[in-house]
Amino acid sequence: MTIRLTIKNLANGTTLRMEAEPDETINDIIGSAGEYWNLDAGAYVLKKGKKLLSGRTRVSDSGLLNDDILEMIPDPEGGCRWGSLRRY
Amino acid sequence: MDTVSAGFEDKDRFDRQRRIQWMDMNRIMSSKILVAGAGALGNEAVKDLVLSGFRSITIVDMDDIVTSNLSRCVFFRDSDVKRGMKAEIVAERASSLAPDVDITPIVGRIQDTDVSGFDVILGCLDNIAARLDLNAAACYHGTPYVDGATDGMRGKVQVVLPGTACLQCTANRTHVRTMDMRHTCTGNSMYVPHVASDVTTTAVVAAMQVREAMKIASGRSDLCISNVSYYDGTICDMFTAEADIDPLCPNHYGEESR
Repeated sequence: MTIRLTIKNLANGTTLRMEAEPDETINDIIGSAGEYWNLDAGAYVLKKGKKLLSGRTRVSDSGLLNDDILEMIPDPEGGCRWGSLRRY
Repeated sequence: MDTVSAGFEDKDRFDRQRRIQWMDMNRIMSSKILVAGAGALGNEAVKDLVLSGFRSITIVDMDDIVTSNLSRCVFFRDSDVKRGMKAEIVAERASSLAPDVDITPIVGRIQDTDVSGFDVILGCLDNIAARLDLNAAACYHGTPYVDGATDGMRGKVQVVLPGTACLQCTANRTHVRTMDMRHTCTGNSMYVPHVASDVTTTAVVAAMQVREAMKIASGRSDLCISNVSYYDGTICDMFTAEADIDPLCPNHYGEESR
């Protein structure tokens, strides 16, 4: 059964309502939210309450319920060098 | 009855730390620490490690110093730009903070370094691929791994202890995509982050990493972050998120989450 979720973007405080199918995964939710918000390339994680959600977990196995609020967090990677910026 | 000399409390460099009950200075001073990365995080981490009492530190980095490092790296000077290797300069300058500290620099890739025999490994790296590689090596050797990462005003610290979720467990498709886009920050890059880092963020994250190392070295892993702490410097907010071991993670085959 389709569930309705609220995704909160912790990078800018905006929220998004999303419907997710049971066979979709947390990866799919992160991907769709990233597309919707047109987020910068980089890593993101999804959290429900105090728990990070595993990317490959299916919605049907995730314990997610209708109207759950999930938080999407940028997952920092690290710095860069001027040399690589020039190449970019 | 004990006899003390007047002014004895100022003769011990670590007198103030010894007053923190859970801290075991003898164990801290005898611990062997590996610091992977001698950039912004690595500079701060080594400074804090030495001042905190760690006396055996190995630091690994393959890079030389560039001008943009100077705004975030306490041990680098203008005269080092294009002349010094990060690991060697950090080792040399940090040694001046304490006469009895032993800091071994290794100029090379962390992936090519033997990481066995250390009590704690600090990851001060700048890319996911190297981080996951070091994470896997730490898991293999059963060595506690404290990973730090920053991006502008954001940062995170993840503590990986034997039997807890590792970086591979918490990685998802966006990490893989980022790795695919960015092999290394020093060559052949197709993508680099918009923002590098700010010294106020690296100072916070490195300090947290060293504090976790102090807990582990003191035998108080029970006090450690479980499992990831996120820091947002724009609003000075910090929160901790728990993570389960991924049953399909190759680093935890057959294990269950703590």
